[in-house]
Amino acid sequence: MKANFALAAPGAQGKKAAAYILTALLVGVLIVIALSGHASLGWRLALAILVAAVVASYAMPTFGKYLRKRIYWYTGTFFVALALNFLLPRLIPGNPVDIILQDVLAGITDSSAATALKNQYIAQLGLDKSILEQFFRYTGNLFKGELGMSLYLAQPVAKILASKIPWSVAIMLPSILVGWLAGNLLGAYAAYKKGIYEKVIFPVSLFLSSIPSFIFSMLMLLWLGVSWGWFPVLGGFDAQIISKQSGVYYMSLLSHWALPFISQTLIVIGGQAIGMRSMALYELNVDYVLFAKLQGIRDRKVTRYVFRNAMLPQVSGLALSLGGMVAGSTLIEIVFSYPGLGQQLMMAIRNVDYPLISGCTLVISITMLVANLLIDIIYGLIDPRVRTAQAEEG
Amino acid sequence: MSDTMLMVNDLKTYYRTRLKENVYAVDGVSFGLERGKVLGIAGESGCGKSTLSLSLMGFYFPPLHFGSGSILLNGNDIMKLPYETLRKDYLGKQIAYIPQAAMNALNPTRRIRRYVVDVLTEHDTGLDEKAMLNLAREKLSFLNLPDRVLDAYPGELSGGMKQRTVIALSTLLNPSVLIADEPSSALDVSSQKVVMEMLRKMLRESQVQSMIFITHELPLLRHVADHIAVMYAGEFVEWGTAEQVIFDPIHPYSHALMGSIIVPEEGMKSHSLSCIPGAPPNLKNVPKGCRFAERCTYITPECRAENQVMTTLPDGRQYRCRFSQEALRDMYAKEVPANA
Repeated sequence: MKANFALAAPGAQGKKAAAYILTALLVGVLIVIALSGHASLGWRLALAILVAAVVASYAMPTFGKYLRKRIYWYTGTFFVALALNFLLPRLIPGNPVDIILQDVLAGITDSSAATALKNQYIAQLGLDKSILEQFFRYTGNLFKGELGMSLYLAQPVAKILASKIPWSVAIMLPSILVGWLAGNLLGAYAAYKKGIYEKVIFPVSLFLSSIPSFIFSMLMLLWLGVSWGWFPVLGGFDAQIISKQSGVYYMSLLSHWALPFISQTLIVIGGQAIGMRSMALYELNVDYVLFAKLQGIRDRKVTRYVFRNAMLPQVSGLALSLGGMVAGSTLIEIVFSYPGLGQQLMMAIRNVDYPLISGCTLVISITMLVANLLIDIIYGLIDPRVRTAQAEEG
Repeated sequence: MSDTMLMVNDLKTYYRTRLKENVYAVDGVSFGLERGKVLGIAGESGCGKSTLSLSLMGFYFPPLHFGSGSILLNGNDIMKLPYETLRKDYLGKQIAYIPQAAMNALNPTRRIRRYVVDVLTEHDTGLDEKAMLNLAREKLSFLNLPDRVLDAYPGELSGGMKQRTVIALSTLLNPSVLIADEPSSALDVSSQKVVMEMLRKMLRESQVQSMIFITHELPLLRHVADHIAVMYAGEFVEWGTAEQVIFDPIHPYSHALMGSIIVPEEGMKSHSLSCIPGAPPNLKNVPKGCRFAERCTYITPECRAENQVMTTLPDGRQYRCRFSQEALRDMYAKEVPANA
């Protein structure tokens, strides 16, 4: 209580000191881990990048200060996320052992034998240790680059993640990029041309962005997949194809990929077009447009001013959705039974598979944090107003 | 070149509403502006001042439309020009505009120097980038602004600096006519004064040939304007020199308007302020008769019956009222005891 009070005290000096001590501690821990000889290559690389960024930041007077502050904050956030990644799965009611032994236990009538078997499994999986001990083991392993074994699938989590992530990225990356580009162009066009364009583009985008994405995907599945039979409705490829090198396999990949890609792209287009339209409408009515036009600046140039400025918030939207790429695909993957990370996460939660859940959420947290850090940096580079704010904040 | 910079004849411009109704915000305005002169346009909010100032630029975009009339700028009717010619040879070059909200008049993500280049490249000045920036530097220093403004983003300038920067930018090419639409309304009184002096100085040194100054702050006009036009419901109701209109208004509306000013002078405390009851007519369907009739103290049945035309006095003053100036003055004189 007292410590809390001290931290929350409004004195800027105290706050600053606390922040420095915290970050110094964190960085210290990171360095000790890195030098201890156990850390995996990935961690060392990440740490090297962070340290290099902090060192480089001293070359830039105002922006550097801001950058350092951001990096410290995100490092701290990462540790909090790590703790939550560990803790949250363990708060799910139920026990992984019950699920693993479901079938076996159903056949055992002797309750003491069943309990003995259960206890044996619990001990083997280390679940009888205190939660703190488990946490330290988890983080210790994590820094060695080991994410553990999936309890249910009995495979290394890292291997499962590596095999699932490409599927999610294959759907989300192109649909975010295509949808973002198309959505912004449509939104800008609707705002600029008005009239019939706006009367069509706006309601359609509004529909696409407000209908729950899973409902929309299901409708797409129903119409394009089931009723009209244009696309296969399930999975990432045709399971009957044995050779994974044949052209048939790639065709099958493509046709299975198309429907989730189209659905997701349309959803992204809707949201982006709405956002861009209102931003552009706002910018078109700002006084600098009138002034520039009355100074004789040609329309095309004024339009370029407007759309550059209207773009700014959209850029951060792009970075955010790229960061949320892995997490954002969950619904789509479930609807289309697509074998990506989202579906894997869903299954892991159903099976109370602690290491696998933590692994999935770790990937999600890291992509989110990195994307946010990048937005913070990039946004200052493209918007002078934010740069000023950063300098003041830093 | 004649000494008349701007000649406006019976200009009518209107807004078209969603329901396709035409609202004439400027309804038959005529005036001339000579070299070296400042015309002040006064009136309450919504009387069409800002619309008039926009209309004078000859550049219309929805919902504002051009109705009829002519705008002669240095003898050329700018309403008859194709848009490209207007844009390249007139806008920002011969006729310039300082918008009402100078705070947002600059693109927030463009450095002033790049904006300067953008503007000057549009007008075939034949200058290279270096010369353009030198020109801008001259203008800035004329307005007591440091060179560093060129490298700043608008967000890095203070309100007063931004205002002066906008003035510098709009007068880059020494326009014949500068239209300032309440350029000082967002500034404090001392910054206002600075801006006014700058504008006067520009006029004296021929950086600007003539000026139209639009404001609802009448005391300001007294220091700036040579002539004042009082606008009401889209029409001019009085025209005269600044002294005449401010100290000896003829039209009942001008008279009432001047009575509503607070001037920090002795005896002001005991002087009761008058206000003008009612609101201007809806310009969608203008009532027949004098537009000010409903709010006028001196209304007679005839006022409602016939439209009023401008009466021109021998000394060039104009007013729009059916009474003679003597009759009006008599009525004002009788009114004073009641007012005090």
